[in-house]
Amino acid sequence: MKPVTRRRVLIGLGSGAGLLVVGVPLALNAGRPAIVDYIEENGTGPQDAPRNPDLWFEVTPAGVTFFVPKIEMGQGIHTALAQIAAEELEVTPEQLTVRQADTARGYAGGTMFTFGSTSVKALYRPLREAAATLRELLREEAARQLGVPATRLTAAGGSFFVAGSRERIGYAQVVAGKQGEWVIPEATPALKARREFKRIGRAMPRTDFRDKVLGTATYGYDARLPGMLFGAVARPPRFGARLVSASAGAAGRQPGVVRVVIDAGAGFAGVVARTRTQARAALPSLDLRWEGGTTASSADLDAQIQAGSGSVLRRRGNVRAALSGGTVVQGEYRTPLAAHAHLEPLAALADVKAGGRIEVWASTQYPQMVIDDLRDVFGKDREVLVHPTQLGGGFGRKAGQHAALEAARLSAAVGKPVHVGWTREEDLQHAFYRPPTHHVLRGSVDPDGRLRGVEQFTAGGDIIWGQTGIPEFVRDALGFDPGGLLGQFMPYDFPAYRVVNRREALPVPTGYWRGLGVLPNTFALESFMDELAHAAGADPLAFRLQHLGSGEDGRRLRGVLERAAQAAGWGTPLPAGRARGVACCLDLGTASALVAEVSVQEGRVQVHRVTVAVDPGLVINPDGARLQAQGSVMMALSSALHEELTIQDGRVVESNFDRYRLLPMRDAPPVEVLLVESGDEPQGMGEPVMGPAAAAVANAVFTLTGERLRTLPLRPGQG
Amino acid sequence: MTATDTTDTTLRTVTLNVNGQTLHQQVEPRTLLAYALRDAGLKGTHVGCDTSSCGCCVVLLDGDTPAKSCTMFAVQAEGHQITTVEGLGGPGNLHPLQQAFWDQHGLQCGYCTPGMLMTAKAMLEHNPDPTDQEVREFLSGNLCRCTGYNNIVKAVQQAARVMRDEAQAQALAGMVPGTDPSTGTAGGGAQ
Repeated sequence: MKPVTRRRVLIGLGSGAGLLVVGVPLALNAGRPAIVDYIEENGTGPQDAPRNPDLWFEVTPAGVTFFVPKIEMGQGIHTALAQIAAEELEVTPEQLTVRQADTARGYAGGTMFTFGSTSVKALYRPLREAAATLRELLREEAARQLGVPATRLTAAGGSFFVAGSRERIGYAQVVAGKQGEWVIPEATPALKARREFKRIGRAMPRTDFRDKVLGTATYGYDARLPGMLFGAVARPPRFGARLVSASAGAAGRQPGVVRVVIDAGAGFAGVVARTRTQARAALPSLDLRWEGGTTASSADLDAQIQAGSGSVLRRRGNVRAALSGGTVVQGEYRTPLAAHAHLEPLAALADVKAGGRIEVWASTQYPQMVIDDLRDVFGKDREVLVHPTQLGGGFGRKAGQHAALEAARLSAAVGKPVHVGWTREEDLQHAFYRPPTHHVLRGSVDPDGRLRGVEQFTAGGDIIWGQTGIPEFVRDALGFDPGGLLGQFMPYDFPAYRVVNRREALPVPTGYWRGLGVLPNTFALESFMDELAHAAGADPLAFRLQHLGSGEDGRRLRGVLERAAQAAGWGTPLPAGRARGVACCLDLGTASALVAEVSVQEGRVQVHRVTVAVDPGLVINPDGARLQAQGSVMMALSSALHEELTIQDGRVVESNFDRYRLLPMRDAPPVEVLLVESGDEPQGMGEPVMGPAAAAVANAVFTLTGERLRTLPLRPGQG
Repeated sequence: MTATDTTDTTLRTVTLNVNGQTLHQQVEPRTLLAYALRDAGLKGTHVGCDTSSCGCCVVLLDGDTPAKSCTMFAVQAEGHQITTVEGLGGPGNLHPLQQAFWDQHGLQCGYCTPGMLMTAKAMLEHNPDPTDQEVREFLSGNLCRCTGYNNIVKAVQQAARVMRDEAQAQALAGMVPGTDPSTGTAGGGAQ
């Protein structure tokens, strides 16, 4: 456990209502960006909480309110964290009111940043400590008020019960009866043992579903204030183009237009109007001249992404010797540029008070970035308050460039609140993307079916570096992008392995996409593992099991592989024209294995059934975990079967869902999710299951047709 | 109806019948129904693509016809009974579809949910006992990026069962003399 000596607990008494506020900011590890720390620590063992996981509770006569310092984008994080809080607080789910924290309450150094499947993993212990601290404070005070020893009090259902009597006192009553200061003990109370859990590991109703089925949930697109106006912002014709001259043209005379806002130096030109329709309709009337930018096409990007040189990320044994014998197999894989396609486009409402506070309601995964960006423009000391809304999907896109700054520029110009909601075209064509990757693999198997060694060259566009201001020479010195490390290494035990990775800054913006490297890397590695199995004349499942090590990783992968294979009926007969494929991966501490059953009809892959076993360590909410796994599988299948962005003359060709096809419901296979638990610590759940689906499908296609598909999206008969 | 002139920006008042209530909205002829509804405060109708590709904005016309409100002008909706998600059910009386989506985890981020609910409602009006594949086909114009779709199919089937049972109970009640069809309770003490 993290030492708690540096811990500082804030506590204060509100007026009248007996308000109690507890926060637990953990000390900083000053220096590098948290995400770098995180990615580098990933998979190597228990993690410290990210910086400053401030968790606040309020206890009033109405009950306990939990202000969640993480963003709800559908992943169920509010429910999972509420469950963890309720466990140590000893309250029922109904007694806990769950609210999104704003940055005044919940911001303290960036921990509201919701990314990388880190929320539960990072907050599991600090949140329990905060909740237990609150519970024990209440216990001491309850004991004083009742005149009994604290040891005689049992906490349950938001009350303390006195042993051997029928007496009880509710938390709210304890708070109301408190006089003077609360004194927080230095030591952290003992946390409950797993066998004592009443909430963690059980299903609990989602805190966000009621509003969502009623249509009353407020997304960034829905943020409204009295007297507000709507804005729209001009976009460059090519990536990297600069705005060299701008004037209002006829835009100011268009119906409903209130103001044309131009800051050519900042490359900004926008329109404020009474309605969104009017603002958007006026945009083309701006007189803008753009220059420069890239004229790259998809083929140019592919040419730039060439595996074969770079940083040596891993080296064991003598690969040259290993590949000089046995049966040598070579495979070359590519994955394309891909979009996030969250259904709610970027949106924010900003209210910039002249010389005063800037208040923002934004669909963002990363409120601190919104604050930083606004302060870059409006002044370092400017007070900024961000209210994260419900997010209509995020998938990493809402951790990057955002609509809030645009809304704020427009609001500052007109002195009224302004809402900016992007269109689908803007969202697909002016975003950042999952970068293309290239993988060249060579491996060799012995006549007895043992894997002798693998040489792995990988190249990919920047992910984390693509979204940070880190200079190129630093990126180049490091040689790899930490995001590209996810799923980068084969989890098998064999004598010789060498991994050489190359990162590239592309002329097209690239960055975080659900799971970062895990989908492209696992597609390549687990397809190649299949190639090796077939070269060895082995069953692909048996070949994997045979090469798993005896350590914890090997044990957990074996567990999910065997579970998925058994449930999928691996090795049992299938109807004619169908075949199964298997793949597995270990990512963010979570092991998953997936069996896909496919057919190929008229050059089209149809997935009929998916069985996936997932071991995320400790499961907080089984419904939530299954839902995240199902969603990951479907997003990965959509990516594997359909998704590809085309770049032509420096711009994205696809502008809407008619050309950027997502897997439709008619093609969505049933997905059976099997949860396997190991250990007492929760691991990542939002992204790891993005890993195995693409390879499992490609492997099934090979078994069925003999054609090895090495490029995403999978197109049988087209190489 | 004549073609709408999208270059005409004169404001005019449209009279929309939404969820059984009459709304008078000031709109331009080019104003899409989705935005007219949202400007009237009915923000449960979501916009995801503006081109009828994603289905987030589906509302019902005249009770059983699903319409993508981002590709229909507000002025074209005059004279129709419009139902939005806000008219489907309320906090105290969730529609069986809303309850089923909640029960079956037929959503995650929820952005596609109002469109899914309204499209499913339209389907069940015409086909109260669909197969899973019929549900999938009917809802294939509605995209969801979060759930993996399977729970949506389960939710629609749960709602279909509940609605069939309710319809059957009502029909039975209507056949028994002395029964009050409005409550479905038999006057003869058949409970």
